[in-house]
Amino acid sequence: MNPKVFGVPTKIWKILFLALPMVLPVVVSNQYYVHGILGRILVYTILVASLDVVVGYIGDISIGHAALFAIGAYTTAILTADPRINQGATMLYLPQLPFFIALAAGTLLAAGAGLVLGFPSLRASGPYLAVSTIACGLIIQTIINEQETITNGTKGIHLTPLQLGGVSLDGNQFIWLVYPILVLVILAKNELGRSFWGRAFEAIKHSTLAAEASGISRTKYKISAFVLSSGLAGLAGGLFTQLDHYIAANTFTLEFSILALMALIFGGVRSSFGNFLGMAMVVILPDLFTAFKDYRLLVFGCLLLLTLFFLPNGVAGLFSLLVKKGIRRWLPSLTATPKLLNTSTLSAAELRSWLVPTGVASQAPLLSLRGVGKRFGGLQAVDDLTMDLRAGVIHGLMGPNGSGKSTTVNLISGVYEASAGSLIWNLGTKSIANWATFRRSQLGIARTFQNLQLFGELTVLENVLVGFHSSFRSSLIQVLLRTPAVRKQEQQFRMQALSLLQMFGLAELAEHSASSLAYGQARRLEIARALASRPRLLLLDEPAAGLTSGEIEEFNQIFLRIKDYGIGILLIEHHMDMLMKISDEITVLDFGKVIATGAPELIQKNPRVIAAYLGSEAGEL
Amino acid sequence: MIYALIAFGYSLTFSTSRTINFSLGNLLMLGGVVGFSLAVDMASGQSLGRPFLVPLIGVLIAGTLAGSLVYKTAVQPSLRTKTDFTWVLATLAFGIILKNAVEQIWSTGDFRLPSPLGDSVVHLGSIGFYPQEVLIIIVSLLLMTAVELIRSKTIWGKAVQAVSEDPATASLMGINPQGVVHLAYILSAVIAAIGGLLIAPLTFVSASMGTAIGIKAYAAAIIGGLESGLGIVVGGLILGLGEVFTARYLSTGYKDTPGFVLLILIILVRPSGLFGRTKAKKV
Repeated sequence: MNPKVFGVPTKIWKILFLALPMVLPVVVSNQYYVHGILGRILVYTILVASLDVVVGYIGDISIGHAALFAIGAYTTAILTADPRINQGATMLYLPQLPFFIALAAGTLLAAGAGLVLGFPSLRASGPYLAVSTIACGLIIQTIINEQETITNGTKGIHLTPLQLGGVSLDGNQFIWLVYPILVLVILAKNELGRSFWGRAFEAIKHSTLAAEASGISRTKYKISAFVLSSGLAGLAGGLFTQLDHYIAANTFTLEFSILALMALIFGGVRSSFGNFLGMAMVVILPDLFTAFKDYRLLVFGCLLLLTLFFLPNGVAGLFSLLVKKGIRRWLPSLTATPKLLNTSTLSAAELRSWLVPTGVASQAPLLSLRGVGKRFGGLQAVDDLTMDLRAGVIHGLMGPNGSGKSTTVNLISGVYEASAGSLIWNLGTKSIANWATFRRSQLGIARTFQNLQLFGELTVLENVLVGFHSSFRSSLIQVLLRTPAVRKQEQQFRMQALSLLQMFGLAELAEHSASSLAYGQARRLEIARALASRPRLLLLDEPAAGLTSGEIEEFNQIFLRIKDYGIGILLIEHHMDMLMKISDEITVLDFGKVIATGAPELIQKNPRVIAAYLGSEAGEL
Repeated sequence: MIYALIAFGYSLTFSTSRTINFSLGNLLMLGGVVGFSLAVDMASGQSLGRPFLVPLIGVLIAGTLAGSLVYKTAVQPSLRTKTDFTWVLATLAFGIILKNAVEQIWSTGDFRLPSPLGDSVVHLGSIGFYPQEVLIIIVSLLLMTAVELIRSKTIWGKAVQAVSEDPATASLMGINPQGVVHLAYILSAVIAAIGGLLIAPLTFVSASMGTAIGIKAYAAAIIGGLESGLGIVVGGLILGLGEVFTARYLSTGYKDTPGFVLLILIILVRPSGLFGRTKAKKV
């Protein structure tokens, strides 16, 4: 478990390697490279990392991060600036607070701005969101330029070098200030990325619908991502004030935002190494070739285009691919990853008692629909639907195409809000008609999708873990610090998720990416993910569509087993034999209206059902 | 009005391929610069005395080539990748490349392009205006009407509509969807380049002349609704008037702010724009 290189555990090597840059100010006296170049790269890398939280994790685009950087920088500068070196300044308020208090204030203020910036992201995406971040950035830049009594306008603010415990953090020693903070930021960001937070971000990015159906609140996580990202950008801005001891409004332009975005894409998203590398390129390249300085945007533009089309994971993606190959070749001892399959899993009985706690079974229906209707403009998709869904009962829902079956599932899971009628959840008797999808999921309503909605970039196991989302009980702080409790919980859920995969015959594929699954496996994975939220009611929207008859028989067994656990199932299917075989009760819809309800044998003989499927003449025969 | 014209260019590519050409502002700049180079001697600032048609033709050619180039180098490869915002960055990058190239090859300075209609203010009652401003309004309206007419009345327009609705089906009907998108990119670039030539006599000709206009025109397009012809004109007017009034009554430094605030509000309240239609998403 503890691989060694040259007799020393890799962990120690890692720490030593990470600490290396701290020595630089002692051994190198040249100001230009350490302070001027490396210091700048480190500060900007924090900015790129902050951008990565939004772009890499949540998949939104921001071209306004320079403004958040500016908020952090100006707040810190104004709160710490010494009026003696800002002679003739128009600023009225200079409290001269300690640096770290000012830094915290800058971070918080930027995070607050991020809250504002985050809201448009709930309504818009892609080009719409991009332009709203540009607009926010330009507004903030205008304010900085015009509010001379606060910011000294275009003249900028001068600052004194920071002293800490008698040690000046000027010049090369600036590294001592910025490097530890950068390492902390990156470690925390990595922890976030691999926790249930990271999975929630990934889930929202890939399929908001499926994320909400797994109990993830899109609003909460999107806004959180923007706030976190903005706070980090503010932190970077605050540190930036100590780089040159001078800040001016013309630094924080739209162009700077674009440059940071370029660095991020170029280096590679969701990679700390990539964040650093991308920014290093942007800072170093113009410096290496002075003649090239004037053409730098041209070259960066071309590099960006090439990266976008040929290196979707950036330079870091290419690098890690090469390194992985190299390690496999030269240091095979490092590749010995712990085998997931060796971890113990739950027995069938344990799985059952984990899925459905005993002692809550009752004869009352889980969910009662009363006169539920849904209208889209002129189309009445579902009309006056009354139906009871019970624990341990498979309730079939059938009807010709366009009869309102999928709409019914969407109404129950909360994707659509009913335009008439009531939905009553009987465990605790709540009306859930206007609840959001993620809250219904937390209540115990899970679903699958007619057109598969898996998170393709996550592994099979991680897809199931997304289903566990509501079960995680750790706070954001705990996650960032990776406390033992967080680790233990993650371990436990991984084991349970693996047990679920075993039930669906997918355990061997746990580490594969979900997009690599065959069609039938993907269908099973969706059901496993839905079960992971430990639902009381499972909505299956055409789970057997496109499956072979052998697979359908397997599915029958799985559904009967889930039913046996005491979970209620609403099953939509076009496969009549499946529906007739395993359903306890069937409701038939036609043009949004219920035309028959009853046991399968009765439905088969019902003339109205026959008419709906075969045409009215056949019904009359 | 120039905002409306460029906004119209944005809507052209959006309505065919769901993509926006973020380099349109810099294509406008290209139009201004090419027109200027063909009309005026750079060193002396004197007019070369060529008929106005020469720079116009030059601008048309430049716009066509540049539009085609954006499509081939930035948009077409983007549409092949899976992520949905690649084209945002790709067209942005193209714009930056274009701007930097013009700065280096041409000049970083500001130059004046005299208006073919004269540069003196014409007074009509108490309102004073430049003849060039009238020209901008007339040409913009003509261009937009012409393109709109082609779009709604001819078989070509139907093809464009079909591609916008469903490229795969359109392709089964014998329409080349990539060709239509390509055409839309060329058309929008030409419109932007003409816009640059039109606006040049009122502003200065420089490598950075397109940046602000490009962003503001985009804001106008969003405010009005990217897919609504009327919305784009109204959006352009709202933005232009807001700018003028803020500059006059508040401060010139803040003249861009109301438009941007309005933009953010619109995105929050009605992302499809004032005149846009919202579509129900099917699950």
